[in-house]
Amino acid sequence: MKKSLLIAWKDFTIRVKDRKGFVTLLLTPLLLTAILGFALNSVMGGEGGFPETKVGVFVSDDDDLAEAFVSDVLPTIVFVKIKESKSEEELRELLTEGKVDVGILFPKEWSSGVNQGILKSVTLLEKPDQRTKTAVIESMLKSYSEQVQIHAVTTLTVMNDLSASVTASTSEINMKQVASEIQLELQSISGGELKEASIGEKNVGSMQYYAAAMAVMFLMFNMTLGAKSFLQERTTETLKRLSMTPTGKASILLGKFLGTLFFSFIQFIVFFGATSTFFKVDWGSNLYQVITVGFCYSFAVSGLSMTIAAFVKEEKTTDVISSIGIQILAILGGSMLPIYLFPEGLKTIASVTPNKWALTSFLDIMSGTTWSELFPAISILLLLGFITLALGTWKLKTN
Amino acid sequence: MLQVENVLKSYDKNEVVRGITFGVHKGESFGLLGPNGAGKSTTIGMISGIITPDKGEIKVDGLSIKKNALDIKRKIGVVPQEIALYPTLSAKDNLMFWGKMYGLTRNEAIKRANEVLEYVGLSERAKEKIETFSGGMKRRVNIGASLMHKPELLIMDEPTVGIDPQSRNHILETVKELNKNGMTIIYTSHYMEEVEFLCNRIGIIDKGKMIALGTKKDLFQRLAEGTVIKVGVNKLDELFLNKVKEIDEVGKVIPRPEDLTIEIFVTNHQKVVGEIITLAVQANVNVHSLEVNEPNLESLFLSLTGRSLRD
Ligand SMILES: Nc1ncnc2c1ncn2[C@@H]1O[C@H](COP(=O)(O)OP(=O)(O)O)[C@@H](O)[C@H]1O
Ligand SMILES: [Mg+2]
Repeated sequence: MKKSLLIAWKDFTIRVKDRKGFVTLLLTPLLLTAILGFALNSVMGGEGGFPETKVGVFVSDDDDLAEAFVSDVLPTIVFVKIKESKSEEELRELLTEGKVDVGILFPKEWSSGVNQGILKSVTLLEKPDQRTKTAVIESMLKSYSEQVQIHAVTTLTVMNDLSASVTASTSEINMKQVASEIQLELQSISGGELKEASIGEKNVGSMQYYAAAMAVMFLMFNMTLGAKSFLQERTTETLKRLSMTPTGKASILLGKFLGTLFFSFIQFIVFFGATSTFFKVDWGSNLYQVITVGFCYSFAVSGLSMTIAAFVKEEKTTDVISSIGIQILAILGGSMLPIYLFPEGLKTIASVTPNKWALTSFLDIMSGTTWSELFPAISILLLLGFITLALGTWKLKTN
Repeated sequence: MLQVENVLKSYDKNEVVRGITFGVHKGESFGLLGPNGAGKSTTIGMISGIITPDKGEIKVDGLSIKKNALDIKRKIGVVPQEIALYPTLSAKDNLMFWGKMYGLTRNEAIKRANEVLEYVGLSERAKEKIETFSGGMKRRVNIGASLMHKPELLIMDEPTVGIDPQSRNHILETVKELNKNGMTIIYTSHYMEEVEFLCNRIGIIDKGKMIALGTKKDLFQRLAEGTVIKVGVNKLDELFLNKVKEIDEVGKVIPRPEDLTIEIFVTNHQKVVGEIITLAVQANVNVHSLEVNEPNLESLFLSLTGRSLRD
């Protein structure tokens, strides 16, 4: 282990001293973050990460709870623009003309049975090309309905306990509270689709998005950098010399892995520090989550470097991998364009890229998330790291 | 100190080392001489524990390379044929790194790196990157890196390939001094003069086989017997040839009609040359050239293999 650390430290110093490497791995991502972050600020809708959603609403009568949803709850979601219609026909027209993306039809006396915990069903008018937006509105509505029912029933029970004569009405329901609870709930309900839609407590701005995206993308270069460093040791025969020292093969390979891991992680920390300090990028309120995901991702990247080192013979091949392969991964994993803008098929493909898991995790952290929600991504990254490390070292050891 | 017993190594069907046996005593300077591709580096690779022999046994101080590889690696220092250093690190950082890989502490490594730099004459350039060094200076650091842990046995694989004469002399002097101070040395080369200069015992290796092995004296003895005198004449006279054959110190006599020369194998050329001239005059043969191949390892190699070393 001591020998492994020696090798790792040696690799680290070599990489730090490499000016060109320093520029590509640290200055370029910072620069790109600044450029993309500023340039795309308007495209991405300023504050909001999720594209603007125009919602058309028709409430068939003066249902209090339906009105409350339209006037108090919907507007709390920044990316939602509301258009109230006078009739069902007008709503359908707006939808076909593309003036709204989603239509909500509240039936007559929608909430009349709320005290018994019953709500009539709401019709959602959907446009086929606006699936994602519809899904968001649907989960909001569902969440609202549940909240309202729970509140109505509990209020009723409480009131009944206090004084049998008072019945629950909408006035007993605190809409502000309901709205914020819905927002919280949306995170868990919305599932994969909306993960990157940044519907947490806070929205993710474009600068934040690209800070995370660039960190993730440029950390990927450590895959090929690590592999290249290994191949270089082979061509310059320092690898041979390492095996002439009283050091086991496994320790040498572990050292190479740790060198890449160490450098990737430091690179992340420096990038994280620099973006927070100079660009005032808000990486979320939980520093531990940021560092954990940063570490797990570095781990995965370093593992991959060992597999590449094991299966690639020429240094030139690693250059091709870094110029083409990493770009493909970066595009697929959302480092260029936000994943929520992808068509469905691509979204599925995106899930096989490690950078997607890291990026979505960072975005989640920025908008506020829990450890348990980060768990799948963290496990996937660690697992990937372990498997590729094991595979790479096994192949290199038997050579 | 070192015992190599009948080691064999082949890659695919290509037999690179075909049963080599030799021993090196403590304090000795042993030369391994052979042309490119003879199997020298492969043999050294097996001794240093990075190539596993297909057959045979290698022992260092009684320890077997199969069972005690790590212990053996601690005792020996290997100077690889290639410059195995990190080009973007300084000479001192390189030396310290390799020293620590042999278990030196940081302080020991610093102290030893300064000593070694002094020893290879590069103290002033300690802080400079290896990539800025000339070939000769790189070679010296390459050797220095193997001296960091003060090995009992130093194995050098063609440490002077492709460098200027000055650096070469510096290296040869350094090795000689190391040996004088008690370090056992195995020196591999395809340069005759180097091995002659440095080593008391020499093994000559060709096509994976040890074709001659012994002290320098032994080998020259054998050589002396193989000295060839080449005589250029105006005619190949039968009588003259028979008279030459009758001389005690003369072995084979080969007439070469194509260029009118005679190759005469002798054991003591100083004594024989005069007699040959006398016989030629008596037989009315004109001798217009006479060439004596001075005994050296080169001609021994030639007489053993029929090829020149530098081919
Ligand atoms: N790893 C290898 N795979 C296949 N052939 C090899 C390998 N290493 C050496 N050889 C071959 O073995 C022969 C001896 O090589 P080597 O030991 O390097 O010779 P030397 O050091 O005496 O010049 C050469 O013909 C070389 O091509
Ligand atoms: Mg060689």
